[in-house]
Amino acid sequence: MASSSSQFKINAGLAQMLKGGVIMDVVTAEQAKIAERAGACAVMALEKIPADMRKSGQVCRMSDPKMIKEIIEAVSIPVMAKCRVGHFAEAQILEALEVDYIDESEVLTPADKQLHIKKNNFKVPFVCGAKDLGEALRRINEGAAMIRTKGEAGTGDVSEAVKHISQIRQEIEELQNLTSEVEIEALAKKYRVPVSLVKEVKELGKLPVVNFAAGGVATPADAALLMQLGCEGIFVGSGIFKSSNPEKLARAIVNATTHYNDPKKLLEYSTDLGDLMGGIAIGTIKTNERLSEIGW
Amino acid sequence: MTTSKSVVIGVLALQGAFREHIAYFNELIQQNPNDYADYEFNIIEVKTKEDLSQCDSLVIPGGESTSISYIAERTHLLPHLYEFIADESKSVWGTCAGMIFLSRQLLNGKLNQKILGGLNVEVSRNAFGRQLNSFEQPLDFSSFIPGCTNFPTVFIRAPVVTRILSNPVHSQEEDHHKQGVIMTENPYVNNASVEVLYSLKNYDSQDHDLIVAVKQGHILGISFHPELAGDYSFHKWFIDEFVLKRKVHS
Repeated sequence: MASSSSQFKINAGLAQMLKGGVIMDVVTAEQAKIAERAGACAVMALEKIPADMRKSGQVCRMSDPKMIKEIIEAVSIPVMAKCRVGHFAEAQILEALEVDYIDESEVLTPADKQLHIKKNNFKVPFVCGAKDLGEALRRINEGAAMIRTKGEAGTGDVSEAVKHISQIRQEIEELQNLTSEVEIEALAKKYRVPVSLVKEVKELGKLPVVNFAAGGVATPADAALLMQLGCEGIFVGSGIFKSSNPEKLARAIVNATTHYNDPKKLLEYSTDLGDLMGGIAIGTIKTNERLSEIGW
Repeated sequence: MTTSKSVVIGVLALQGAFREHIAYFNELIQQNPNDYADYEFNIIEVKTKEDLSQCDSLVIPGGESTSISYIAERTHLLPHLYEFIADESKSVWGTCAGMIFLSRQLLNGKLNQKILGGLNVEVSRNAFGRQLNSFEQPLDFSSFIPGCTNFPTVFIRAPVVTRILSNPVHSQEEDHHKQGVIMTENPYVNNASVEVLYSLKNYDSQDHDLIVAVKQGHILGISFHPELAGDYSFHKWFIDEFVLKRKVHS
């Protein structure tokens, strides 16, 4: 049995290998194969993509392990799957299924309104959503080995993803400007995390785990924007398989995530992609109906 | 004033953990100024053929081997990588996915996955299983890295070398029709001998050894991730034994 620090190194290490890559939501083995062929560095197996969950208004739970297993068998890249916030029994089931990463996700209906899963109790790595630094650090303190900024899933509107990554970056900058021990301790108390974790972020100037962007990415330009803002990779949910030519769009988003700093290449990747996801502008969704508000 | 020799080490930056390699090289160069007083190092990201053309040495990082292969092909970098690894005045190092990419034969590749073929070995992807089977283990590399007796070695969904291909042309004929076996399309054949640098002995109490580090002339391939070790000994050894020996002798 590996020691807990060694286990964390291995789990955070897999996220290191995903960097510069695109993780795609898929609902069937066929879509998983398309994602793999497009160059996705991992897939997220789920029953309904967020855009359809939004419409359904129903309780959204962990997917049937049967479909997750079909996806595991269909591809050789890492497979992630979602469990509900706080639902550690769903997480135990996904670990027994040997998924490569669990996403404790606000996109599903939360199971616990107070507590997130104690992720340090698991061997399998977790990714969690965050919209500000305090939330990111609480998740890391619970054992998350990777963070994704939440954005607003299922909308095709990138503005919330931009807001959340900018928020975290700004809060890290503010932290770096703190000089007194008292201020750092006060901030740790406000964030409800150990002082040592806050100091680690201050020293690194970034989160101590890999940080991907998510929630509303629909185009190669969206991916490039988030990479230029400092994200280390991209989750694409509804955007790809809600478009008219998923294969082409998936490839274009992968290419744009690699060459995010090269406008000439981005021009090529953005051209002639067919109809993109229609989406919902974020302003039309009431604050209390936003998925990013879920999480404590 | 002495003129220092310029050395450019490129890290393939299509997908994966390329920043860590760059950080390790920069740190070790900074911390060992006396060893490298005669050189001016430049460690760069390689995304295009223009980047590659500047390099004396290339490191292919860990990541997803399918992603790296597909992106390399789609962005037209693949033929330039074929040429680069065929140039024996250069040095090349692949870690994890990078070793898969450098193999001549891949047991369980995906449709249209391309490999560069610089190492005359057959490689199997995800040889230890899924992420739950990833592990860290201290290993003794002192037989090839002097004094490196306790290296924290991180294996993440790691590949292994399943076979040394003594005669690549012959083995290709043999395996050509096996399902899922990918052969390189690079015409280059590395004629140096393959040296096994390290094997995990009796892994999982089975009676066979798993080859996790090989060297063939100017090319080094390893299954694991020294860029996550918190110890730059492996990177220093690569500079000293591969990058500078080639650079000096070419």
